[in-house]
Amino acid sequence: MFNIDFTGEFAAFFVFSAIMISGAVLMISLDKVVHMVISMAAVFLGLAGMFVLLEAEFVAFVQVLIYAGAVSILMIFGIMMTKHHGGGRERAKPLHETLAAVSALSLFGILFYAIRTTAFPEPQPFQAGEDNTMAIGELLYTGYVIPFELLSVLLTVAFIGAIVLAKKEAD
Amino acid sequence: MLPSYLTVAAILFCIGLYGALVKRNAIIVLLSLELMLNAVNLNLVAFSKYGVVPSLTGQIFSLFTITVAAAEAAIGVAILFALFRLRGTVNVDEFDKMRR
Amino acid sequence: MEMYSQAAWLIPLFPLAAFLVLTALGRSFRRAGVLIGTLGSLAAFVLSLFIVIDRLDANTVDYNYAFDWMKIGDYTLRIGFEVTNLTAMMLVVVTLVSFLVNVYSAGYMKNDERITVFYGYVSLFTFSMLGLVLSDNLLSLYIFWELVGVCSFLLVGFWYAKPKARAAAKKAFIVTRIGDAGLLLGILLLFWYMPGHALDFTTIQSVFDGQSGAITTGITTLIALLIFLGAVGKSGQFPLHVWLPDAMEGPTPISALIHAATMVAAGVFLIARTYDIFQDSAAAMETVAYIGGFTAIFAATIALAQNDIKRILAYSTVSQLGYMMMALGLGSLTGGVFHLFTHAFFKALLFLGAGSIIHAVHTQNIHEMGGLGAKMKVTAWTFAIGALALSGIPPLSGFWSKDMILTAAFETNPLLFFVGLAAAFCTALYMSRLFFLVFTGKPGAASSGAQESPVTMTLPLVVLAVPAVAAGFVETPWNGWFGSWLSGEAEAAHGSGVAIVASIAVGLLGIYVGWLVYGKGSVSRTALADRVPWLVKLLERSYYVDELYAVFVVKPLKLLGAILIVIDEYVIGGLVRLTGIATVSAGRLAARLQNGQVQTYSLAAVIGFVIIVIALVGRRFLP
Repeated sequence: MFNIDFTGEFAAFFVFSAIMISGAVLMISLDKVVHMVISMAAVFLGLAGMFVLLEAEFVAFVQVLIYAGAVSILMIFGIMMTKHHGGGRERAKPLHETLAAVSALSLFGILFYAIRTTAFPEPQPFQAGEDNTMAIGELLYTGYVIPFELLSVLLTVAFIGAIVLAKKEAD
Repeated sequence: MLPSYLTVAAILFCIGLYGALVKRNAIIVLLSLELMLNAVNLNLVAFSKYGVVPSLTGQIFSLFTITVAAAEAAIGVAILFALFRLRGTVNVDEFDKMRR
Repeated sequence: MEMYSQAAWLIPLFPLAAFLVLTALGRSFRRAGVLIGTLGSLAAFVLSLFIVIDRLDANTVDYNYAFDWMKIGDYTLRIGFEVTNLTAMMLVVVTLVSFLVNVYSAGYMKNDERITVFYGYVSLFTFSMLGLVLSDNLLSLYIFWELVGVCSFLLVGFWYAKPKARAAAKKAFIVTRIGDAGLLLGILLLFWYMPGHALDFTTIQSVFDGQSGAITTGITTLIALLIFLGAVGKSGQFPLHVWLPDAMEGPTPISALIHAATMVAAGVFLIARTYDIFQDSAAAMETVAYIGGFTAIFAATIALAQNDIKRILAYSTVSQLGYMMMALGLGSLTGGVFHLFTHAFFKALLFLGAGSIIHAVHTQNIHEMGGLGAKMKVTAWTFAIGALALSGIPPLSGFWSKDMILTAAFETNPLLFFVGLAAAFCTALYMSRLFFLVFTGKPGAASSGAQESPVTMTLPLVVLAVPAVAAGFVETPWNGWFGSWLSGEAEAAHGSGVAIVASIAVGLLGIYVGWLVYGKGSVSRTALADRVPWLVKLLERSYYVDELYAVFVVKPLKLLGAILIVIDEYVIGGLVRLTGIATVSAGRLAARLQNGQVQTYSLAAVIGFVIIVIALVGRRFLP
């Protein structure tokens, strides 16, 4: 099954996935909220590294910029602006947690089984383009220009909405 | 290599799912959602390189996803602020207005 | 020459139309309602009279018309009407009494608020009774049989504000139902065993008459007894007679129409109509004869001790119906039907006369009356005619028919002959008691302000007095015209000097004893009661039949009902409640899941998703 040559890509992949999975597990298991966000940032960065491995430099750049930068900062702001009973124990809901763990595990089992049993055909060689960023830019402004513009509108609406929601109500 | 990436993505997704289901703190729930979206992104980019017909479309899609996720995070935090002002807490299990 | 017989189907339609119009009109048209009801029955009467006159010719044949009602597979149910001399006679009796009762009720029910409803019911009853008479098969006869039962129920309970009337109506309906169930079973058996499943009277006659052996004697007896059970219920024979005296709670014209002249005679008519079945079974004939004879003496003795004028007449009716049954059982079809014919007139006359008295004195207790003869001359004279006819005094109609029955008994069954004589004696005694107590002697407590009833009420009395006197002459010991007309066979003159003399003697003796005790007063009224008080008490309480039924039938049934209620409450109801509780608790469980927490909902969604995927994918691992 795991008959993979021990190449440089594999070594890097192993390191990055180790970072990501441990970050994710820490995010779940840590007590303090800020620590959770920081461990999450590690996951984001590890993912960016994965993207580089996958020859998606632009996506990796965006990942670092938006997730590791903007979203993490946003979450930290959120934590700072709301009150947290430092380290308050989670309310015990054993049945709920067990069920959630079981269903998450079985979902993983299903996915893993599907991944393992699928015979992926040998891919054609990947053309990342001379300049990955330029290639993506060209695609965005030619084939995907309408989704791109729609997404811009969505973003604008979302941010205006966020401002309106977060603003203190005018008395 | 593709199965390895997919497996890592599945692990991340399931951890995110578990977090979204059990965490009390709304911010952590939001973070877990981001984790699940990231797992999807990893899948998209992995298929864009190792798929049957490799192309940049996967990367484009992951860009779109990241954008939408950013918007979602912003809106989510804004809603959290509003709720916090209203109820004085960010614990998900205290938001049970739907019951009544 | 059978033009009128062909139109016989029109006869029931007149009262039916009257009923429909009356129902549509509602209660406000009081005078018009009376007029419509009376006109409906008058039209029916006139047409019936034409039919009979048309058929007086000796060699008329029965007229039958039927059409296919429904086809079920190979079986075709035909339904229609049949006019024989017997049905023609019944038509005249029913329509005449019905018409006179309509006229009479105009006076008797004048101040009743629901007189239009009353007339509607009477019209409906007349329609049903005529339909019963005209039916050419047992099935439609059964339908009309039940319809007259319903009308009887409605009319007995007409004054439903009175609790006793309600109880009597229920009793009449339920007790006759027992008999009706028997009749239905008999019809079903007949349907099962008859060749071709035919139920019409013509086929029944040919099957049973020809001794074809198509049906074994045992089955024949069973069928005959079941049919007789129906007749027992309807005609108030022992042991199902208990409803008839209670039915006197209804308005008096109804007692005259339904419970004296027509409906209660339907049992006799039914047996006469299916007489061929009975003739095939000696056992059934004997049963009919003995039940009839026993009922005759049984009810006559009860009538001796009753104090309610209508109850006396009711027991008298039961007794006379017993006479008819006895005659039929003894093989004298003519005797039974002849007595039915004469009895209808003089008993209707007596009931209407009693109604006239009650109308005047507002009581039914004969001890509170007295001296009414001088004040109510028409009523007194017509009542006397009726009483004498009932007592069997020649030459009034009752004598001839009763004599015919006694002759038949004398020739075949001496025991029943003496029973009949004893019953005749009792009849004469209680009628003279009734007459002397009511019309002669000192005025009673209630008779002070009494005066003669209006002409609408006395006119029917006078009209009925005519056939009460003369109807007997159609069949005398030396002239068997009625019998031969009825059966289509030349019947020899019959008669027995012994029977005639004995019959006259007991009649006169009864009247003489009655006169001695209640008229002249030379024998103390309480003489018997002083000697054997238990006997008088026994008679007053009608041999405690009602009480016996209460203990042996009603109580166990009520116990059964109580048990069933318990079962219903705790077993059936428990199941129902269990269903409810299960649903509610399932709802509670679901409600607990619905705790308003998004995470619980999404967990449920994830679990569901996992289950669906496993279910879809897991199939491939199954063998």
